Order: sequence, then C-alpha cells, then structure tokens
Amino acid sequence: MTDSALLLVQAAADSTRAYGEFPVIGARAFVWITAEVHLMFAAFVLGVPMFAVVTEAIGIFGGDERYDRLSKEFTRLLLVAYSATAIWGAMLVFGLSTLYPRFWAYLTTIFAPSMWLYAALFFIESFTLYLYYYGWDRWKKGRAKLGHWTLGILLNVWGTIVMFIANSWLTYMMSPPRDITPTTDPTTIKLWHAIANATWMPINVHRVIANVVFGGAIVGAYASYRFLAARTDEERAHYDWMGYVGNFIAMSALIVLPFAGYWLGREIYQYDQSMGITMMGGFMSWLWVIQAFLIAVLFLTGNYYLWIGMGRIPGAERFQPYTKYLLIVLVLGAIVWGTPHTMIADSKELAAMGGSHHPFLGALGVMSAKNTAVNLMILTTFLSFLMYRRANTRPVVPWARTGTIIQGAMFAVAAGVVLFYGIRGYFVEAIVRIGFSVYQVLAVLSCIVFVTVIDVLMARGAQSLGAIRWGKMPPRSQYALFILAVTFTWLMGLMGFARSGIRQYWHVWQVMQDTSKYAATPALGYASKMISLCVLIFLSLVAFVFWLGGLAEKSTFVASGEGEKGARHVGH
Amino acid sequence: MWATNAKIIGIVLGTLALYTLIANKIPQVQSEVPQALTLGANVTPEQLVAAGEKVYTGIGGCTTCHGLGERAPNLLTDEKGQGPIGARCGKREPGKTCKQYLYESLDNPTAYVVSGYQPIMPVMTRQLSPAQVWSVIAFLESQGGTMDVSASDIPATSPTSPTSTAGAGGAGGAAFAGGGTDPKAIIQAAGCLACHKLDGQGQVIAPDLTHVGSRRDAESIRKKILDPASSVTKGYEKLAGIMPKSFGTMMNAAQLEALVQYLAAHK
Repeated sequence: MTDSALLLVQAAADSTRAYGEFPVIGARAFVWITAEVHLMFAAFVLGVPMFAVVTEAIGIFGGDERYDRLSKEFTRLLLVAYSATAIWGAMLVFGLSTLYPRFWAYLTTIFAPSMWLYAALFFIESFTLYLYYYGWDRWKKGRAKLGHWTLGILLNVWGTIVMFIANSWLTYMMSPPRDITPTTDPTTIKLWHAIANATWMPINVHRVIANVVFGGAIVGAYASYRFLAARTDEERAHYDWMGYVGNFIAMSALIVLPFAGYWLGREIYQYDQSMGITMMGGFMSWLWVIQAFLIAVLFLTGNYYLWIGMGRIPGAERFQPYTKYLLIVLVLGAIVWGTPHTMIADSKELAAMGGSHHPFLGALGVMSAKNTAVNLMILTTFLSFLMYRRANTRPVVPWARTGTIIQGAMFAVAAGVVLFYGIRGYFVEAIVRIGFSVYQVLAVLSCIVFVTVIDVLMARGAQSLGAIRWGKMPPRSQYALFILAVTFTWLMGLMGFARSGIRQYWHVWQVMQDTSKYAATPALGYASKMISLCVLIFLSLVAFVFWLGGLAEKSTFVASGEGEKGARHVGH
Repeated sequence: MWATNAKIIGIVLGTLALYTLIANKIPQVQSEVPQALTLGANVTPEQLVAAGEKVYTGIGGCTTCHGLGERAPNLLTDEKGQGPIGARCGKREPGKTCKQYLYESLDNPTAYVVSGYQPIMPVMTRQLSPAQVWSVIAFLESQGGTMDVSASDIPATSPTSPTSTAGAGGAGGAAFAGGGTDPKAIIQAAGCLACHKLDGQGQVIAPDLTHVGSRRDAESIRKKILDPASSVTKGYEKLAGIMPKSFGTMMNAAQLEALVQYLAAHK
C-alpha cells in the first residue's frame, strides 16, 4: 500500500464517528443490557456442563443411572440456552460496533486474532454439545460411554477457553499493561502482552467458580419449578432430589468464591492503588453494603433450605435443636459483614454519624471483623451440611466416637484461629493484617477438607436410620430455591457493575477516555434498576427455555423404586 | 398451577423490588467526568463553596483519605476536639491566616503533616487548576469558619499550575519554572523535594535521589518520571502509586532531558 493510500485510510479512521445513539434507552443502556444478559446466559452454559460432566461421571463410576439421567436433563437445558447466548452475543457486538465504533475499532485492532479463535471455538463447542446431547442414548455402554463422557469434558475445555479469551478483552479494559499509554499505537501492541494483563487470571478463576455457583442455582430453580408443577409423588421426589443437588453444588462453590474474590481485589490494588481505593473506599463503597446484604440472604436461604430438608430425613431430629444456634451465628456474621466502613459521606451525614465511623459500629466495619464474620459463616454453613449429611446414618466403625471428637476439635481449632487472627488484626499494621486473612482462610479450608475426609471414612457401612423421603418437602423450601436463583443472578449483575464501573470515565483505564455523554458512572440506584431489568429479561427467557425443554421431551424423573437405589445424598 | 405460577412470579418480582429499593435508599454517589472549572470575576461566595465541594468530593479525590479517620485527618467533622477544618485552620500555624495555611497545605502538603499521619498527600496545586484549588479552600473555610476567598485570589497565584483541565496529566503544555532548563529550578518547581531527598535537602518519604545515578541509568530515570508505576524501588512498595503520573506532560522535552541528565550524574 502506498503512503498516500495509507494516509487516506488513516484519515478515514480519524473521521470515524466515536459514538452512535440508540433510540429511547440510549447507547449505554443498550450495551449494558445486551452485555449483561449475554453474560448471564454465557455463565449458565458454561456452569451447567461442568456439573453435567461430574454427575455423568458419578453415574458411570458409581453405577447409579439416576445421575446419568440427571446429567442428560441438565444438558437438555443447554441446547436452547446456547442459541440465546449466541443471539445476545451478536446483539452486543452489533451494539458495540455501531454505538461505540472508535472504541470497538481500537479493541479489534489489538485482539482481532483472538476474536477469530473465539468464533471458531464457539462453533466447535456448539457441535460438541450437539454430539454430547444427541449421542447420549447411542453411546450408552462400555467404551462408547467413556467416549461420550470425554465429549462432555471437551465441551468444558472449549467453553473455558472461550471464556478466557473474552475475559482478556474486558480485563484489558480494566488493567492494560503499564507500558501502554494513550499515545501507544494499538497496531504495535503484542496480542499476548495485552491478554496476560494483571487481572486476567484472577477474573478467569473467579468466573469459573462463579459459573458453577450460578449454574447450580439456576438448575435448582428449574427443579423447584418442576417440583411445584409435579403431578405424581415420583416426579416430585425426583425434582426434590435434583433441586438438592443444584443447591448443594451452588453452595459448595459459593464457599470458595470469596477467596477468589480476595485475590482479584488484591490484584486490582497492586495494579493501581487508586482504582482499588475507588472500588472499596471511593464512590463505590456503598455497593459493598448491598453485596453483604445479598450474601447474607444467600447464606441464610441456603441454610434454611438444608434445615427444612432435614424434616424429610429420619434421624435428623437429633440435630434440629442446634439449628437455632447456627442461625444466630449467621445473623451476627451478616450484621458484621454489612457494617459500613470506608465510604463517601457528605458533611451532613458525617455530622449526623458523629464522625467518620459510627461510634458503636466503627470497630466492626474493618476487614478484621468482616473476614472473621465471613469465615465463621462459611464454617457454620459447612456444619449445617455435615448435620444434613449425617442425619439418617449412625456410624458403626469402632473409632466413630473418636472421629466425631476429632471433627469437633477441628471445628473448634478453625474457629479459634479465625477469631485469634481477627482480634489480633486490630493491633497490627494494615500490611500485616492483610496477611492474616490467608491464615483464616487456610484454617477454614483445612477444616472443611479434613472433616469431610473423616466423615467419608466414618460413613463406611454406617447404619441407616431410614431412607430420605424425597419429595416430602413443603413448598416454601422450593420458593427458597427461587430466592437463591434470583439473588445469585442479581449479585452477578451487581459485581459486574462494580468491575466495570471502577474504570469510571475510561473505556480503557487511563489509555482511552470515554468522551460520550454517558461517560459518568451512574450511582447505585440507577445501576440497581438496570440490574433488575437484566435479571428479569434473563429469568423470563430462561423460563421460556425451560418451557421449551419441557415441550420437547418428557422429564427424566425416575420411577418409584429405582430412585431408592444408590445415592441418598450427594457425597454418600 | 396458575396459583403456583403467580406465587413464583410474585417471589421473583418481590425479591427484585426489594433489592432495587434498598439500592435506591442508600446515598447515591455518581462518579462524574472531570470538568473544566471557570470562575468569573463576579463569582459569589456560594458559587465558590459549591464548586469547591464538587472538587473535594469528586475530581480532587480528597475523600479518598480525608474523613475516614485512618489515612488523613478529618476535615469536615471534628478532629481531636478542635472542630472541623474551618474552625481550626486559622490557629494551626502562628502568623498564618486560614487561607494561607490551606493554600500552603495544598501546595506543599509535607510542610504541615498532622501528628500521627503519614506524609502521603500529593501536591494538589500540580493536580488541580488554580480555580479548583481556590474553590476547595473556600469550601474548607466554610466548614465551621469564615470564607474569605474571592475571585481576586484566583488569577493572582500559581501561574505555573496546570490550567483548566482537571486531573493528572490532563493539562499538558504548561512547563515548570517558565520553561527554563535549570534542573534545580525544575526540581524546586515540580515539588520533587516534597517527597525525595537530594543533596541533603527534602523529605525522606520516597527514595533518596542523592545517588540515584548509581542505581538507575538515564533511560531508567526518564522512564520512571514519565511512568512512575513502571518500577518501584525496593522498600517503597507501600508508596507505589503516590508519585504523580503527570510530570511528563508538565515539562517540555528540554526540561525533561536536563532533569534526567542531572539526576543520572548523581552517582
């Protein structure tokens, strides 16, 4: 290309309009909605295959066909959801290219090859899904079944790579490598250099876990709907069990999600302290109070569901008196976690509060108290699950009493470590205090792992106090699963706003400024309306998808008798 | 089944409504885009104070540290029984009026570090335009004191400060020390000694520059000035991000080279 031609191309690029406008709702709202709904569907179609493949493996290696059928039912939900993901993704791309053309041109200049790879992998992923689902009954036995299961693994591999690629684009917007400045020619930026930015891997890990949580919650809601609509006891029993599995997976993954969140937060601080301060102590500070409220709802509702579930387990009466103490710990923990600390307040608010911290609650707003609270809430939830798991069994191994004492001691030690470092944190510098959270997390995770190992060994040959009466759940337990699904989805929207909003008026942090009329980052009130709208659109479409799934094929519930064979609960 | 469907819809909508309601009940803070601040000769005290509050809670970033009780003193509320800043600024330094004290605190923050706090405040007269600086002073004076800033204060001071566009690196064009290439004058005008020590002068908050040439070559020094986050001297990790990123846009090429060569010669 000659110099004059290059100049013409450059002039054309320079004259490209920077922004377009979308009727009625505006450009930002259009991109916000399409991005958020696309992301929700994407999380669903990435999360569900993860445990579809795990439940299929339990079915194969545990010899329990019920898990295999459950896995197939999960997968059936994916088919239409994939189309919806692609449609919303296309709307997002069209929105970005027509409403934010200059920014989009910048991004594609850097990331074009990864976008081609993304499209190719999405294509491959879709066809792997078709093979996985439609080949289910054909490749049912022996090696063919293992081959089928391998397809499920591949489906997850493609999906994860696709997500990692998309994550690189949005994390580049958040944390472009420091040597990239506003004057850096995007054609000179190496692709891998842009991909491997500071927040890429923390976001990858965080999203993988969050997708499992999200997928579990949506499947739980699906099962609860089918439970409420069930016409027979058998059907009700099946969907009760499915709802339990969905909730179990969601809550288990939720327990480790805060640790991934801490890592992401730490990387943001290390990348740019001012961005971290904006996130935690700047204009977004109130957002964390809302987040704490939502997490409290999740913990309380998740535990509530388990406690109600104990009503259908013979032998659970032994443990039910303890649930009120667990409730007290959860409520106190939620209150501490929700205590505001560093936030923007105007002079009137500060004067009304009598200072920058509330005189009574200020000491609870610091991270020492919050970390202690959340770790104790996690331990409490784990204890709830343990009680649920042991409810209808009596261990018969000779060391059962010793094992239980050791388990109790492990809980006590973990809680002691959490409390010790929580209190000690008040007497040391911030930099030392941050390190304490690692010890707290390690204590809790170690407790969960070792107590579970002991429990599994102790359950060998355990005496059964009676089978779980699947299906004998009051409807309010199923509504709890709906609240969980709505809350998880809303929380996802809120955290998406936090991650994107800390860039403030930058498309690419300190590299490309947003000069559109929507450059200001809106307050939480406006954001909450947008989030609720996105959640409503998503859930309405998901309901439609589920309805379509129901039209296409009868459910896979197990007839009476078959379901009693094998897993009474997950983990047994 | 219709009753069940209605209940489910009710629960979903009710949960969404609850979360939306709570999020709308808390204080609403929007992150604004930095705007140029122009104050005419007829600016009223109310306009000055209002503009100052916007800068204070917005682009100035003051609330990031002040008012939290940990990083910097409270300014809008009582600080150790002395009242808000407007009530105490006139008594802070003997012989200095409130206005003088506040301006110097923004222009040379390390000169008046309140006991118990770290000297981490950046030179605000390098970050904000004169109009923004004086509006903040007016706002702070109004917090329990008498506001005596007027339009005549604004053009009379800080001729070398960045002009109307706010924010680090936003100004461009304006050169230190009248554009001269005397490195000592540049260092003085840029306020480097507010944090760094050089030849026995200055503060020890940031790395001592007296022998900087022995640990960094000219290229490394140039890069550090233009992009302070490009490398952090060992032992100063906690202060990463404090050095303004705007020096590269606040001096001309000749000044930058003069400064780089001067520092590189400090072996």
